[in-house]
Order: sequence, then structure tokens, then C-alpha cells
Amino acid sequence: MISADLSVVLPEIALAVYAMVAMLAAVYTSKDKAAPILVWITSALFFALAVWLGVTAGETRTAFGGAIVDDGFARFAKVVILLSAGAVLLMSIEHMRRSRSLLFEFPILITLAVVGMMLMVSAHDLMTLYVALELQSLALYVVAALRRDSLKSTEAGLKYFVLGALSSGLLLYGASLVYGYAGTTLFSGILATIEGGEMPIGLLFGLVFLITGLGFKVSAVPFHMWTPDVYEGAPTPVTAFFATAPKMAAMALFARVMHDAFGAVPGDWGQVVAVLSLLSMALGAVAAIGQRNIKRLMAYSSIAHMGYALMGLAAGTQLGVQAMLIYMAIYVTMSVGTFAFILSMQKDGQPVTDIRSLNMLSASEPLKALAMLVLLFSLAGVPPLVGFFGKFYVVRAAVDAGLVWLAVAGVVASVVGAFYYLRIVFYMYFGEEGDAQLDGSMPAVLWGFLMVSAFAMVAGVVNLFGVEGLALMAAQTLVN
Amino acid sequence: MSSGSSLLPIIAILPFLGALVPGLMIRAGRTACATFTAAPTILALVMLGVLAPDVMRGEVIEARIEWLPQLGLSASFFLDGLGLLFAGMILGMGLLITLYARFYLSGEDPMGQFYTYLLLFQGAMLGIVISDNILLLLIFWELTSLTSFLLIGYWKHLPEGRQGARMALAVTGGGGLAMIGGMLILGNIAGSYDLTDILTQGDAIRASEWYLPALILILIGAFTKSAQFPFHFWLPHAMAAPTPVSAYLHSATMVKAGVFLLARMWPVLSGTEAWFYIVSTTGLITMVLGALIAIFKDDLKALLAFSTVSHLGLLTMLLGLGTKFAAVVAVFHIINHLTFKAALFMSAGIVDHEAHTRDIKRLGGLARLMPVTAAIAIVTALSMAGIPLFNGFLSKEMMLDAASETVWAGSHLVVPVLATLGALLSVAYSFRFISHVFLGPVRDDYPSKPHDPPFGMWAAPGFLAVFVLLIGILPATIVGPLVAVAGGAVVGGELPYYSLKIWHGVNAALVMSMIAVAGGLVVLLLHRPLDRLWQAAPRPEAKVIFDALIDASAALSGWVTRNLHNGSISRYLAIFVVATVALGFAAWNGGALAPATRPMLPIPAVVAVGWVLLVVATVLVVTMHRRRFQALVLIGVIGLMVSVGFVYLSAPDLALTQISVETVTIMLLLLALHFLPKHTPLESPLWRRTRDGVIAVGAGVAVTGLAMAFLTRDFSTISDYHLANSYTGGGGTNVVNVILVDFRGYDTYGEIIVLGIAGLTIYALMVSLLTGPAARRLRNTDYSQDRSRDRHPLMMVVATRAMMPIAVVVGIYIFLRGHNQPGGGFIAGLVISIALLMQYMASGFAWTQARQRIQYHAMIGWGVVVAGLTGAGAWLAGKPFLTSAYGYIDLPGIEEFGLGSAFLFDLGVFLTVLGAVMLMLYSLSRIARYAGETVNVEPMDYDPSKRVEAIRNGGE
Repeated sequence: MISADLSVVLPEIALAVYAMVAMLAAVYTSKDKAAPILVWITSALFFALAVWLGVTAGETRTAFGGAIVDDGFARFAKVVILLSAGAVLLMSIEHMRRSRSLLFEFPILITLAVVGMMLMVSAHDLMTLYVALELQSLALYVVAALRRDSLKSTEAGLKYFVLGALSSGLLLYGASLVYGYAGTTLFSGILATIEGGEMPIGLLFGLVFLITGLGFKVSAVPFHMWTPDVYEGAPTPVTAFFATAPKMAAMALFARVMHDAFGAVPGDWGQVVAVLSLLSMALGAVAAIGQRNIKRLMAYSSIAHMGYALMGLAAGTQLGVQAMLIYMAIYVTMSVGTFAFILSMQKDGQPVTDIRSLNMLSASEPLKALAMLVLLFSLAGVPPLVGFFGKFYVVRAAVDAGLVWLAVAGVVASVVGAFYYLRIVFYMYFGEEGDAQLDGSMPAVLWGFLMVSAFAMVAGVVNLFGVEGLALMAAQTLVN
Repeated sequence: MSSGSSLLPIIAILPFLGALVPGLMIRAGRTACATFTAAPTILALVMLGVLAPDVMRGEVIEARIEWLPQLGLSASFFLDGLGLLFAGMILGMGLLITLYARFYLSGEDPMGQFYTYLLLFQGAMLGIVISDNILLLLIFWELTSLTSFLLIGYWKHLPEGRQGARMALAVTGGGGLAMIGGMLILGNIAGSYDLTDILTQGDAIRASEWYLPALILILIGAFTKSAQFPFHFWLPHAMAAPTPVSAYLHSATMVKAGVFLLARMWPVLSGTEAWFYIVSTTGLITMVLGALIAIFKDDLKALLAFSTVSHLGLLTMLLGLGTKFAAVVAVFHIINHLTFKAALFMSAGIVDHEAHTRDIKRLGGLARLMPVTAAIAIVTALSMAGIPLFNGFLSKEMMLDAASETVWAGSHLVVPVLATLGALLSVAYSFRFISHVFLGPVRDDYPSKPHDPPFGMWAAPGFLAVFVLLIGILPATIVGPLVAVAGGAVVGGELPYYSLKIWHGVNAALVMSMIAVAGGLVVLLLHRPLDRLWQAAPRPEAKVIFDALIDASAALSGWVTRNLHNGSISRYLAIFVVATVALGFAAWNGGALAPATRPMLPIPAVVAVGWVLLVVATVLVVTMHRRRFQALVLIGVIGLMVSVGFVYLSAPDLALTQISVETVTIMLLLLALHFLPKHTPLESPLWRRTRDGVIAVGAGVAVTGLAMAFLTRDFSTISDYHLANSYTGGGGTNVVNVILVDFRGYDTYGEIIVLGIAGLTIYALMVSLLTGPAARRLRNTDYSQDRSRDRHPLMMVVATRAMMPIAVVVGIYIFLRGHNQPGGGFIAGLVISIALLMQYMASGFAWTQARQRIQYHAMIGWGVVVAGLTGAGAWLAGKPFLTSAYGYIDLPGIEEFGLGSAFLFDLGVFLTVLGAVMLMLYSLSRIARYAGETVNVEPMDYDPSKRVEAIRNGGE
């Protein structure tokens, strides 16, 4: 019995055990000197687990009395999480080594965060949800403030923590309301309660507070305030991490709770999610225009992208979930490539984040400039690049679900949003001649990720690398 | 699939495959490179020629390859008359441009790159006109924006190219994105994303409520691409591109994509008032405005650019009129415009290439120096002016004919007059082009002495000029069938009556045309004074407006970010709270709140007093929080009132827990207060505190409302289950304790571990704090000012020591009764830690520490071990971890009492709580010693026993 349960969460257990062993091993041996090798091992482990999860796809299994579920949806999200986390880890080595902030705790904290995320997407019970979410959040609070000697980093970490604690509190409050009225913390039990009859107002309030807490995690407007500060303040590798795996996990958890626990009343939460989506798209598009710092810009960009992903969720349909998954997978891929480039941005050996430093990059680094052009256009959702398909999927899902106003608003926001991506391209291709030039060298790992990601944006138009079908299967297990 | 269908996708893919070739071939030399660039184009043209006869017979060739079927995207192509016309234009012009560019570009220019971009663009353009699927069309549409961006930016060293490329991409790219929305709605209405399906559903689409949004979004896409007012400004600024690019993109193909789309969607979207007024008015304004500006442009290419804008406006207007005749005229004019405008651009390029200037004011008399070029330019410019025998005349006549019969908002005059005005201005700039550049005396101050270029360079424009004449003289023979089949595809049914011939007799159109020619000549003669007037007159510069718009949006964005993300966490929290309250309010309003089922209880006077006390204390904490000591006292009052509230609401166990936790925390805070400044400085202004106060009150009211709503309604909760099963399942009547040690024993076990770790962490943090930089600051703190004179007051020492045994007994009592009565290990641990805390406070740290027998660390460890072993004991009985067992023991002399395994578990809880609390205290006091607090070895400042001894000694 227990062994069957454990076999379901074997990947998570393996990672958790690894994290503890690695921590002890590092503490008792060479500490920070072991950090690079730890990073390599950790990301190798992530990739191996991703492959394992990917190839052993099978039946939906539950464990611990239904508290944890392992289905196609969870697997899809987990593979994305593991791959992106592994990629970001590899990308961070060089940058952190240069800034002398490559601590051995970093890969371990990331591992713990990843364990939390994997449990989040598998959560089928409010308890699992909360514990997993907190495991992830606590690890992230720490990594956001990883550079203790930097005022911005510590400030970012503190802000993130205070706001995060508030949102966790609200989430917990919502969860206890739901528990109080449904009499169970199991998602399936909550769903059964709702399906039985009218939704009690206590459950509705619980739902609202859950959405508040989850909205914070996906940085949806108006619970997004931490995003720009944390993106800017945190060390760049950490920012890259924030932009990828946790977003996927939070979005998947959002979808999981909404569909598994409240799937019977999509109207009740669909409207709220639609409003969050609208606000996120609008703010993300407008606020990014004035940004000169590329990390802050990426923060607003991620807010806008979460808005689009939420649009898929707001549809409340299977197509919507599928669209959201595709969107997230594409978004994460684009982010990895973009951050690979941002991580390599430095001038005279010092990291820079001002977009004006990209002036005339096309002249000095034509290939890199071209790759960034592809990525930025893809982020803007310009056809025929893969980013367009993601946007089109969610817009299509919204239209099919009757949310035409949301779809049109999304398209309009994408026009506004395209402007600031294109502006970076202008700087790269038509900037003024000046002395502001970036250093040409780029670590091979970053170069590789940049090129692979850019290439994927182009080559993906053929069949989206089959993600479409996988997302469909994943969505089918969640919505039925 | 017929052979024709399989050819179509190959035609579409050929330019993309071909795009790889120039990059490889450039090493073989420029001519080889150009030849290999031409090869795929020629091949595609040949295939198109194979398909042409079928299309000319009226067949529609279709080919379909599934791509992403779920998305509704398939790589499906179809070729009808309109597609054939445009495909032919794109490929044919591509070939001519390839030839022209071979001679135009100089040796230093990276030609391979240029040809690659050119072929990519050609492929994208071709894709637009033969796509059947509108998503595929959108993809190609934006691909033209992208590749044109690369082509415009090709000459990177020209500064004006930058702004141009930026604007071109921002406008056309953005328009394309808007069009996605329109296409999506269209596909949704029609239930299919295939053009062939959509084209059959015109009535359903026009009747749909989403027709207007779809129309507007699609028109934005088309108008931006075809440079229609008010988006016309990007086209002239894109002219910094090399001339082959201008000729290909900005006259022949890309800018026609918008017109193509209008023509393609004509059967579906036209025929409504909205279409007529939006499209025809925009076209009319663009036509007149473009022509007017063109007259006063001195840059050859700018003149041609604005004339292109004007002609695109003409086409748009024709399609906007909504009559079948006008639509066919539009098709005819597309062909004519292609021939003369591309040739004109190439001629302008030759002039620029040879004379090294494009400034009309510095040119003149070129007819004698470069006769061949002049002949080509004059023939094509006359066609542009609409002079008989040239093809421009024919379509212009038909346009005026269509315009003369149009009623606009009840007026019969508006359209004909404006159309004539447009034609008049068109004549003026065409003649200006001829006379100011080629006629007149030969000058001697050209930047470079011009002469005719090699044949290769003028071959392409010459070829087009021949076409201009051929069509002009024998229209029906040369292009009659093509116009018929393409026009048929546009109107989607019966062709209207029209005839392609030079002489239609004297009709309204001819009169209008004659007015136009005469007026145009007058304008040309008056050009010098008019030009001065124009330069002096204020006029809105679209580029300035565009820049201002961008600045305004940047300012708006700055405003938003400054106000929303100013870095202050209090603002973030405020937004967070307000948003949450708003969401809750929405749920409150939206949800069906059942009426209250429980009546309000009567409020006795004592309760009311307690409530008032609670509220007053709370308000006072907020207002007085800057004086920390008082605030702490008030917090104590609040805690007390809350505990009393629990008692009143029949929850003695909660009350007991609350009061002990309250006491411990207040005491720990009291200790911590020692290290903090006595006052908090006033940091925020009054308005801000007021705002925050309002938000806080709002949130408070919301929570109160929520609590009231729950308290006044009956509902089934999990409590009932626990109440029912507490005794039978857990062997205790204190439900809270049973939940802690039995129902949720696992949680409690986890919690005590967490509590223990928290204690250890505080200890560890203190260690690292006191060895770090903070320690230096602490050492420099001066506490001598605020010391109490009496360090260890006698009364307190005596009282606490007397209390100690009593407190311990109470603790044990509470611990033992815990399972059935209010109490338990948690509370007992707190009670005993209070007693110990008091010792520290009264008798001093050293005195107390010296009497400590058990290490706090060990206490925590033992607590966890005991609890864990108890839980594991269940395994011996073959039960799962933490299953509780209980029985009754009859000890002689004492009454029978129940003893459960939970008792031992509770002991673990007790030990951990005690250890953790004391460890925290210990850690805090370490700071004090670090800060220079001396350790008082004497328990009291004044030891009465010593005094007695002293008296005794003194007495003896």
C-alpha cells in the first residue's frame, strides 16, 4: 500500500533525498568550491528525471488517499519545469562565478523549489497544495535574496517574502473556508460537494481567496506588484529561474485547482480569471513601454504573458487548458533563450541591463542579434514564429468559449506589447552609432541555449515539436 | 489531386528554398549569384504558366496539406484569377528586380544577403496571394513585414533608414497583429478558416453582430499595409531603402497586399454601409492627400512614394464603392499601376545612381544626357498622369466614370469632385516629374555627370514601358482576359458590363479628365509660388504626430509604473489588500447569500464593556504604536479580551491556550523591546496615514462582515465530526486536545519539530549575528541612560520564587487533566515557561542560569524523541504510526484515571514547547550581554539575609 503510494512520488522523493544528501555532502566537504559540480549534477538529474517522466507516461495514478495525483497533466507540467530549471541552472554557472555568488546552496535551493513545484502540479488536496506551494515559495524567497551584499537583492527578497506571506495567508484562509464548507480537503470531494447542489457562499469566498493567492504566484495583476522589483533586484540567473519553472508550476496549479476542485462551476471563477487576464495583459503591455532596464522589461513582459496564459484558463474548457499548456511551454522556451542572452550581456566585464547597450549589436554580433530578433518577435507573437501559435491558441480558446471581448482586448494588448519588443530590435539593428557596445564573448552554454531556443522558434512552426498533441492529452486528463 | 494541385505548394515553397542559394553562390561572382536568384523565380513562373490556362478557363486550383489541424491551420493553397494576377505580378516583377539590382548594387554591398532577403520576401508575398487558409495568410502577411524590415534596413549606414524601418515595422507589424483578431472573429463566424469556405458565407458574416469589430480589425491590417490615411506616413519614410527594394516592395507588391486583401474579402465584407463609408472615404482622402503632398516633394523617391500613396488610395476607394464595376476597374488599375510605377521607381534609381542626387531642384535637362532613361521615364510618367494612349488613362477614365455615379451621404458631388481633384493633382506631379527632371536646359552642377546606364539596368524599366504602351493601345487584347478572370474572382459571380477601349465617346469621365489635365498644367505653371506657400503653411506632419503618440504612450507608461511600482512595499500591500477586498465584495454581491438563520444573541452589559475595551485598545494601539512600551501593554489588553471572549463563547481550552501564548509572547516582546529604540519616528504624512487608515478600516469591515455572515448562519462543518468522535475514537473529552494529539497527531508531531527547529534557528541566528558586523553596533549601544535604579526589585524576586512551585504544580495539573478538560501539554509547557521566564526577569540571568539543570537543546530533542517513540509504539501493536491506545489505571489511593498513549505524546509536546520557548529567551538575553549588560551575580541588589548577618555581626 505505502510502497505503491511512494512509487507515485518516486521522482519527488529522489529529488528531495538528493537535496538533503547534497547539502550535507557540501557542508562537510569543500562547500562553495563544490558548487559548480553540484550545479552540473543537479541539472543532469533534472534532465534525467524529465526524460524518465516523459517516456514512462501511463495511467493516471493517485497516492496517499487521493492527496497526490500523477496524470498526464502533471507530467506535462513536470517535464517543462524540470527541463527549464535544468537549463537555467546550467546557464547560471558562468554568471554567478563571475559575480562570486555561486554558493553551494543555490542548486540545492533550486532543487527544493523544484520538488515543491512538482508536488504543486500533482496536488489533489488542499493540504498538499499548501505544503508544496510553501516549499517552493520558501526556497524562492531565499534565492531572491541570494546576494546578501547587494542592497537590491536583499530588498527584493524581503518584499517578495512579505507580500508572499500575505498571499499565502490569504490562500490558507481560502483553503480553510473551502475545507469548512466542503468538509474535505480533497479536490474530488470539493467537486462532489459543488456538483451536488448550489455553491455555498462560504465556498465562493474560499474560491476567491484561493484565486488571490494563486494570482500572486502567477504574478497576475493586481497581485503582481512584487514582480518588477524582484526581477530587477534578484541576481540575473535567479530572475531567469523566476521567469520559467515557477511560472509553469503556478499556472498548472491554478488550472488544477480550478478544474479539479471547482470544475463544475467554471462560470464562477472564469469571470474572475478573465478579469485578471485582462488587467495583466493591459498593464504588462503599457507599463513595459517606458522601461530601459531589460530585467524590469522582462518582468512586465512576463506579467503580460501570464495574462495570455490566464486567458486560456478563463475559457474554462479543455481547449483552454490545452492552449494554456502550449502557451506556457512556448513561453518558457522563449524565456530560456532570452535570458541566456541577458545573462551574457556585459560590458568591460561588468553585467549591464540597460537596453541601450544593445546599440548596433547587429553590426558587431550578427548571429546573436538575429537570434534575439527571432526571440523578440516570437515573444511579441508575430507570425510565423512559434510565439504566435501560443497566442493564437489562447485567443482561439477564448473566442470559442464566448469571451470575444477578452480575445479582442488580448489582440489589442499584443499590438501595444509588440512595440517594446520591437524597440529592442531597433536598438540592435538601427541604433545610433556609439561607443555603447557589449563585450563580444559569450560562454558556450549560453550561446547554445540562445541558439537552440531561437532555432526552436523558427523550426517549431512545422509541428510545434508535437507539443500540441501532448498538451491535448494532458488537458484531457484534467478536463473531462 | 490533379497535377495542378501538386504544383501549387511547390510554387509556394520555391522562393524559400531558393533563398538558400544566393548565400552559397555569392562566392561565384555577382552575375552568377543573380542568375541563381532568378532561377527559382523563373521556375515558379513556368509552373504558374502551366497552371494559368486552367485558371483562365475559370477553374480554381486547390491544394491542401494538413498542418496543425486542431488550431484550424492547414497549409492549403488555392489559385483563382485574382491569385493568378498577383502571383504573376510578384514573380514577374521579382525577376525584373533581380536583373535591375544586379547592376544597381555596387561591389561593396553584400549582394548575397540582399538576394536572400529578396527571395524570402517574394516567397512571403506569394504566400499571401495563394493562401487558402486565413491563418496561413496571416503568417505570410507578417512574414512580409519581417523580411521587408530586413530589406529596408539593408543599407545600415544610412541614418534615415533607421527611423524609416522602425516606423514601417511598427505600423505594418502592429496592423498585422490587429488583423489577427479580425480574422479570428471572421473564422469564428464562418466556422472555418478556409477562404474558400468563408467566401461563400458573405450573408452570414455581414449579418453577424461581430461583423463590425471584425471589419475594423481587418481594415486596420489592410490600411496599415497599404499606407492608407492616417497610416500613410510610414511609406515615404521607408524610401531610404535601396531603389530595387522601393520599386519592388513599395510600389509593386507589399503595399498592394492591403489592396489585395480588400479585393479578396470583397465578396464577404463589402456591400454594407460601414464598408462603403469607411473604405471609400479613407481611399478618397488618401488619394487627394497623397497627390497633394507629392507635388511639393523635391526628393524624386519621395514624390513617387506619395504618388504611390495616392494611387493606393484610388484603389481603396474603388473597392470601397462596393459596385462590381468599380471592383473590376480596381483590378485593371492594379495592373496598370504596377507597370508604370515600378518603371518610374527604377528610372528614379537610375537617375540617382548616375547623377548621385535625387533632389529635383538640382536636376533638369537630363533628357539630352540620358535619352533612353528619359524616354522610359516620360512614357511611364505620362501614363501616371493619365494621358491617352498610355494605360494609366484607361483605368483613370473608368475610375472617374465609377466616381461620377457615386452618391456619398446624399451628395452627388463630393466623390466626383474629389476624384477629379485627385486626378488633377496627379497630372501636376507627373508633369513636374517630367519637366523638372528631364526637360529644361542641361546644367553643369550635377554632383556627377550623368549618362545612360548599361543595358542590363534599363532593360527592366524599358520592358515595363513597352507594356505601358501596349496596354494603353490594345487593352482588350493584352490584358482583357486577365482582367476578366481576376475581376470575376473579386466580384465572385457575374461580371458587370465594362469595356476596355480607348474611346468611350464624350461622357462625364472624359470631361472630368480634361478638367484634370488642364488644371494639372495650371498647377505646374504656378508651382513656384504654390511651393513657397506650401512651405510657409503650417501642416500636420504625420511623423511628428507618430513620434508624439509614442512619446505620449511612453509618458503614460511612465506614469503607470511610477504610481504603481514606486518600490514602496506599503503601496504594494495597499493595492493587494484593496484588490482582495474588491474581489471579496464581488463574490459577496455575485453569490447567493442565504438569509441569516440564527438570531442575534442578546448582549449583556459586561460583554458590551469587554467589546468596547477591545475596540478602544485596538484603536489605541494603532494611534500610539510609536510609543512602544504603551503599545505593548495595550496589545496585552487585547489578548486578554480575546481570551475572555473565548471563555464567553464556551471555548475554555482556546481561552487557556490564548492566554498562555499571549503571556509568553508579551514577555518575549518585552525583552526584545529592550534592544529597540523607545519611539518610532513619524515617517508618513497625514494624508497617507488617512489613506492607509481607510484601507485598513475597509478590510476590517469586510472581515467583520464575513465573520458575521458565517456566525449568523447554520452550516455543517467538520467540527461535528470531531465532537462526535472525540471520546469514542480518542478517549478524551477535550476535543481540542484530542485533535492535537490524536486526530491530527501527525500534524502536531510535525509542528513540534518545527517549533523546536525554530528555537534552534533563533539560537543559531544569534550566534552568527553576534559574531558578525551587527555585534560591533550592539557593543556601542549605550543603555546606561534608561536603567532602572533597582535592578532586581526585592518584592518581585520574592514573589516569583514563591510562585515558582505553585506554577509548576499548576502546570503539571494542566498537563494531566489535558486529555479530558481544558489543558494539555502545549499549555502546560507555556505555563511552566512563564514561571521560568519570571525567574530570569526577577533574579537575573546569571543566578537563574546557574540553577538550570537541563539544557534547553536537550529538552527539545527529548520532546521530539518521546513523541516519536510514542507514535512508533503503535507499530508494536500492529497499528499505523501514531494510533493512540488508552486504558484506565486504578492506582491505590488515587481515583481511577485514564491513561492513553496520547499522554506520552503530550509529554513530548510539553518538553518541546518548554525547551523552545526557553531557548528563544536564552538567545535574546545573549544580545543583552553582548550589548554591554553586566551580569549581576547577586540575585538581588539588596539581600535581606546579608543585612541580618551584618546587624548580627555589628551587634556583637
